[in-house]
Amino acid sequence: MFRFILFRLLRWLPGVIVLLLIIYALMFYGGGDPIQIMFSREATDLFQPGNPRYEALKEKLGLNRPFLVQFGDYVWKAFQGDLGLSLSDGRPVSASIGAALPITVSIALAATAIIAIVGIPLGVIAALNQNHWPDNLILSSALFFWGIPTFVMAPLLMVLLCLQFPILPVPHGWSGVFTLNAIIPLSVAAIRPMALVIRQARSAVLDVLSEDYIRTARAKGLPEWVTITKHALRPVLTPVVTQMGVVMTNLLAGSLLLEIVFGIPGIGRLIRDGILNSDYSLLLGCTLVVLALVTLTNLLVDITYPILDPRLRQAQRGEE
Amino acid sequence: MNGVLLEVKDLKTRFRSRGGLVYAVNGVSFHVKRGETLGVVGESGCGKSVTMLSLLRLLPPAARVESGSALFEGQDLLKMNYRQIQKVRGGKIGLIFQDPMTSFNPVLTIGDQVGEALIYHRHASKEVALKRAIELLQLVGIPDPEQRIKDFPHQFSGGMRQRAMIAMALACEPDLIIADEPTTALDVTIQAQIVELVKGLRDRLGVAIIWITHDLSLVAGLADRIMVMYAGMIVEEAKTEEIFDDPRHPYTLGLLSALPAFQAEKKVRRLASIPGSPPDLRAQPISCPFYLRCSYSIDRCCLEMPALQTVRNGKENDHRIACFVNIHERSTVA
Amino acid sequence: MPTSSTVDLKLASEGAAKHEKAIGIWRDSFNRLLKNKMAVVSMVVVLILFFFAIFGPYLTPYDFLKQDLSIRSLPPSVEHWLGTDYLGRDVLSRVIYGARTATLVSLLVVVLSSLIGVIVGSISGYFGGKVDFFLMWFTDLNMAFPNLVLGVVLSVSLRPPLSRWMEQMYLSSLNPVFRQSSLLDLALVVAVIVLVAWCPYARLLRSQVMAVRNYNYVLAARALGLPTFTIVTKYIIPNAIGPVIVQMSAGMGSAMLTESALSFLGIGINPPIPSWGNMINEGLRQWTSAPHLLAAPALVLGLMTVAFSFLGDGLNDALNPRQWKG
Repeated sequence: MFRFILFRLLRWLPGVIVLLLIIYALMFYGGGDPIQIMFSREATDLFQPGNPRYEALKEKLGLNRPFLVQFGDYVWKAFQGDLGLSLSDGRPVSASIGAALPITVSIALAATAIIAIVGIPLGVIAALNQNHWPDNLILSSALFFWGIPTFVMAPLLMVLLCLQFPILPVPHGWSGVFTLNAIIPLSVAAIRPMALVIRQARSAVLDVLSEDYIRTARAKGLPEWVTITKHALRPVLTPVVTQMGVVMTNLLAGSLLLEIVFGIPGIGRLIRDGILNSDYSLLLGCTLVVLALVTLTNLLVDITYPILDPRLRQAQRGEE
Repeated sequence: MNGVLLEVKDLKTRFRSRGGLVYAVNGVSFHVKRGETLGVVGESGCGKSVTMLSLLRLLPPAARVESGSALFEGQDLLKMNYRQIQKVRGGKIGLIFQDPMTSFNPVLTIGDQVGEALIYHRHASKEVALKRAIELLQLVGIPDPEQRIKDFPHQFSGGMRQRAMIAMALACEPDLIIADEPTTALDVTIQAQIVELVKGLRDRLGVAIIWITHDLSLVAGLADRIMVMYAGMIVEEAKTEEIFDDPRHPYTLGLLSALPAFQAEKKVRRLASIPGSPPDLRAQPISCPFYLRCSYSIDRCCLEMPALQTVRNGKENDHRIACFVNIHERSTVA
Repeated sequence: MPTSSTVDLKLASEGAAKHEKAIGIWRDSFNRLLKNKMAVVSMVVVLILFFFAIFGPYLTPYDFLKQDLSIRSLPPSVEHWLGTDYLGRDVLSRVIYGARTATLVSLLVVVLSSLIGVIVGSISGYFGGKVDFFLMWFTDLNMAFPNLVLGVVLSVSLRPPLSRWMEQMYLSSLNPVFRQSSLLDLALVVAVIVLVAWCPYARLLRSQVMAVRNYNYVLAARALGLPTFTIVTKYIIPNAIGPVIVQMSAGMGSAMLTESALSFLGIGINPPIPSWGNMINEGLRQWTSAPHLLAAPALVLGLMTVAFSFLGDGLNDALNPRQWKG
């Protein structure tokens, strides 16, 4: 089992490194001069190429070394938890990320849980009532909500639930997952991916229901609820789990818009601050962390496959 | 105790499709006695599977049983509600399907699937069901059953899977087994093994069997009676020996002529085939469906639908055909 | 005695029959699409969008750039149907121009990304082996990583060098085109989205090409000496086009959303050129006091993405109908 995990990790690792390399290269060659950004608020004429203070600083920060050396150094330090210093306020990037990360992750986890608990059963119900009104209702609603972007749904919900009918307080900041404050942001975060999961689950169930072994189960006279829960739902788990993995990765990254709209101090907001201040150091760190989280999620999903589908396990006895 | 187990009268089944109605089964009547083996022979699309699936209401949503009755142990299967038919399925009538690979659930163990009918029909516990599964696997000749019940379907070979499916059908000791082309997907050598297995089981357990196939020679050694179907109706029905010795319907004759073995006996050299192709089942059945391909046809054949009639009263089994022509004398029958 | 050429002819005519069947399928699909009421409504909405994208700016009552600080942030009224924004510009005109922005970006994105994706996918499927392995590995990598973050990174890092390049081009050629920062915005946004959007097309085409490559009738056709071009047009394109069309429709909606998101973050289309995304950003600042500034672009954007969603779904059902075997 451990070997299996190791193999899976090795499969993902080259991709991660390549992606990181590309992103680092983009920032390195594309972005502005880090030193000028750091001191952009001060007297800029002091910090021009050619000025001895500039050159000294450049040397001190190791910015004169060849690209690959800088990249390697960055990766090495990153493994040890050092992501450099923010270009805008000088604080260690890892500290800022460390404060923001748990918030983003908890939102992603909570939203994923909501989607799983609500979305999957809805998809199954839709499939079981194919072409009847529950199916049409669920499908059209799913499609409808899928179409509404986060930064449209968020203000609309706020207007509706905070201004028009003041049921909830205006969400601002973050005080934890199980608070009133979190209801609107979590709902907004969950609704769009839930639409996708509903459709996927429905599709998977329909596929399975047309399989021969369902006919066999019915031919054996098994009660319908057994046929559905035992025979139909198990094979459905594999594609659904895959989809949930995708949902999780999107939540980790899509929190960008969510956090800005609701003022939640998560990774997304950090990224936005990084954009505003041209803080490449921060941006790089955030991207790296998101990359790591996405890879981790994909890895976890990969690991569940042999558990869910016996055909993917190593043959215990290679007979026949 | 050769009582009649299943009596089907005038079964009609239709499908709704985009092009209109498909008349899949048009007035099929037959019976099966306790312990006897009925072979149902016909080409693809002739309605043999649909007939049997109609009895147990295992048809797709687009299909409907229009009319008819199917008395099984005194009760009409076609008029049962869902609960009642569920009890019959698996409990009284076992089903064996054509493709054992797709007919087993890939994520559940063989033992689980073979024994599970017992849990719901006989209120057995899981342990009892598993024990019975082991017994059943042994019965159908699968070695090392205690280990194999923990295996998954993809770990079995084709022949073994089919044996497991037979075991699954026998789990609740049904009185009747309907086998829908159980050997079609298997190698020829395995086919012979399965037929032998079934023969042995039948003799031991006294179960009645409806064996559906398109292979006439295969069912010859197994069936007591044979029923030939074409385009949704029965065209000939008789004791096995009589079908081969004295076929009366032009279609049966055509089928037999196409068998290589048969020709060797009669010393005919050419491999004959029946010219033409099966009729479109979307047309309403008002004339003999075999008319256009028949070399014995007369005018009446395209105007009227022939009914199934007894041509010879046997002691136990009548010989019936649905035809207006006596092919031996080339004169009209009735 | 059947010769090999007669066997080939038979197989090739099988293929031709499949091809003709394909054309009949088009008519079937179109009819199915028309029966889907939601899809038809969505199609109408999309066509209206295109209409406004092309003709809208000529029909607007006011110049969308004109500022009038004396009438800032007015609620909807008779003169300004959707009110004015914080710089006194007419919101309705800006929303209409936003349609042009959205359509322009989405169309460009869909055309370019499908082109790239189709080429990459075809190469991958045709050559197989190592070429396929690496191309698909790269495609999967791209697809596994969330689009928006990648888009942000690309946009932020490509902008400075591109603007420097434009400055240099202007200095050397004095062509006013290079002064338009909006052009830079447009090019950047399109490029950034295209760089993440081409992957699904590549995957689609690869599987199509690989499937067709193995069909017997293609072997027969090649044996008969039919040129590759004919094989491509007769066998690959008819089968591949269905899923590609569905993807294009989904892609348009998705590109519109991504562009809005990027503009919302300030790294897409920047003001004063209106994009629904940057209008939402501006509107968000005072949404409690002037909600119409937020509501107008948000609702329109929502309407368009929902329309593309339903349209894509309808196209999918029309082109790939699924029957429940039961």
